[in-house]
Amino acid sequence: MNFFKLMSAVSILVFWTCGTATGQQTDSTAVADSLLMIQLQQSMQPAATVVQQQPPPAPRSTLSTNPDISAIGDFRTSYTSVGPRKVDLYVNELELQVSSVVDPYARANFIYTFGKDFTTGELTPALEIATLTSVSLPYQLQLMLGKFKSVFGKVNIVHPHAFSFVDFPKMTANFFDSEGMYTEGASLSWLVPNPYDFYQELTLEVGRVGSEPNASLVRGDNSQLSYVGHLKNFFDVTQNSTLEVGLSGLNGPNRFAYSTSMGGLDLTYKWKPVQFNVLQSFTWQNEILFSQMRLTDAILVRSLGAYSFAEYQFGQRWFVGARYDYSEYPDDASRRDIGGTALLRFQPTEFQVLALEYQYTDRNYDRSTNQIIFRIIFGIGTHAAHQY
Amino acid sequence: MRTKRTRLAVGLSLLCILFAYSLGFAQIKVVTTITDLQSITRLIGGDKVDVFAIATGFQNPHFVDPKPSYILKLARADVFVTVGLDLEIGWVPPLLNSARNSKIEKGGEGYVDASVNVPLLHVPTSASRGQGDIHVFGNPHYWLDPLNGKFIARNICEALVRVDPDHRSLYEANLKKFDETIDLKTKEWTEKMRPYTGMKIIVYHDEWPYFEQRFGLQVVDFLEPKPGIPPTPSQLLKVINEMKRDHIKIIVISPYFTTESGELVARNSGGKLVTLATSVGANDRIKTYYDLFDYNIAQLLDALK
Repeated sequence: MNFFKLMSAVSILVFWTCGTATGQQTDSTAVADSLLMIQLQQSMQPAATVVQQQPPPAPRSTLSTNPDISAIGDFRTSYTSVGPRKVDLYVNELELQVSSVVDPYARANFIYTFGKDFTTGELTPALEIATLTSVSLPYQLQLMLGKFKSVFGKVNIVHPHAFSFVDFPKMTANFFDSEGMYTEGASLSWLVPNPYDFYQELTLEVGRVGSEPNASLVRGDNSQLSYVGHLKNFFDVTQNSTLEVGLSGLNGPNRFAYSTSMGGLDLTYKWKPVQFNVLQSFTWQNEILFSQMRLTDAILVRSLGAYSFAEYQFGQRWFVGARYDYSEYPDDASRRDIGGTALLRFQPTEFQVLALEYQYTDRNYDRSTNQIIFRIIFGIGTHAAHQY
Repeated sequence: MRTKRTRLAVGLSLLCILFAYSLGFAQIKVVTTITDLQSITRLIGGDKVDVFAIATGFQNPHFVDPKPSYILKLARADVFVTVGLDLEIGWVPPLLNSARNSKIEKGGEGYVDASVNVPLLHVPTSASRGQGDIHVFGNPHYWLDPLNGKFIARNICEALVRVDPDHRSLYEANLKKFDETIDLKTKEWTEKMRPYTGMKIIVYHDEWPYFEQRFGLQVVDFLEPKPGIPPTPSQLLKVINEMKRDHIKIIVISPYFTTESGELVARNSGGKLVTLATSVGANDRIKTYYDLFDYNIAQLLDALK
């Protein structure tokens, strides 16, 4: 085991060094003076022009080497039919992101959050993401080091503010954490060449679950690492529609000093007419996971979680959605939650999202709940665009 | 034994010839963000380039989904040509970040910011998102002035020479030909538009300042109250009153905006709604960068009859 760990560490270092060594640092060629072209243009300009031209700007890349900085706020109002505080009004999370290119060989990204602690009522600071990602390794590989969202499944890699619904599926919350699972370690992904020339990406992660232990995995002692793998297959069905099918697997230590293993399957269909892509869209996303969690030498718990949601955009700013949830618990398959969620979302601009969500949860071990949440999310500064 | 050796030698020779032959015909793989850059790249690169455009000609270039299938194209590209000026900021960075191709990263020999040296319009003196979707470096729709096509073509030509210096003379000859053709055609287009110099028009979105300047038009208002904000009743009413007061006859819309608000304004003001193409491939008649202006000028003249 120690030998394996050593080899893993050495491999990671070798890949990183390889990428750094093979990355081509080319000086950007200064563009030749085009005074002649400007003169020609001026000579051809119509007599009566309405707008005055300005001289060519200085190269924009020299304007600043500051990193991109953004802040995202998530404010909420909620009503819950069960619990001591039925109506609440609170700041759910503030997120600060700093990202930049480090050098010709790597990019860095940090996300620091202040999240609501519902026990104390305080906003608790946490380092959510801290990554260093290679720009170019040989053989279409990409290496990421640090703390990142684990690549298990489709929804887990999404940041909460970028998800269609106000909350993550019950499967995510029950098997991991309300915001999913994080890994501290290394992630290596590979664009797999294939004869059919479709997008296929294999990602392997090794490390420990993030500083916050989740329901299925913990950091474990020094000899126990977690392993996560994902195979993403993406197809352009038509110019307006796409299909994504993913397979996931993980293994790692759990809080009972044994291990948990999981397998997952995700399927996402998206439709968006290219010509009017800001006006209409439809997404149908599904995921299922199977878990095996060993509690003692004699007890192995097999459990299941799944969700399916559909979202339809019926105007430039308006979306409706519905989600079905089914989730058992990783350490007790006899307990299960079934949920139904309805969503109405309004996006005045791409920098602000207002969402109203109703959720009914049926629990076979406790009282069922009705919940209504209104959320407003807004962003300022330069925030990196999210993956498709 | 000897026959076998001979066969082996002949086979190997044929393979070598085939390999050398294929190298001779290997095309430079270019990915462009929009079809106009694709068309200009084809005009400069000729049969030495294989060019793929990510956005279609009838798509709003501000909003393109960064589909993973584009990552495959970028991973294999020798040259990447972008409009720049943050036009594609919502979708190019996630694609380039996943492409694992240092050649086309910013600063790489295959990275082309087509806006370099273009004289920019509407460069803001202050920037606030309260003004809507503003572009801090200036209005990015510069390819809609045909003479700016020459800056684009030169930037592309220089990149092709960097990655494929063996064909420098071909690329430079094609650039010269492109410059001459665009100069000639621009003269024809401006002559056709000369009778309408100073004519006031309304547009849906602020994407026509370069076209406006080149052909002597005067955009006086927009259907959008602010860039990126959909038309509101009060804005449409304001535009209707302006059109009536100043006898404005033309409302210009792009293919990717719905026509309802424009039609409403046209009905209530006595004006005409004209759909102009913002890019090559907006419809079947527009196959090249030259066709883009042929089509738009023809559409305007037809509406003004």
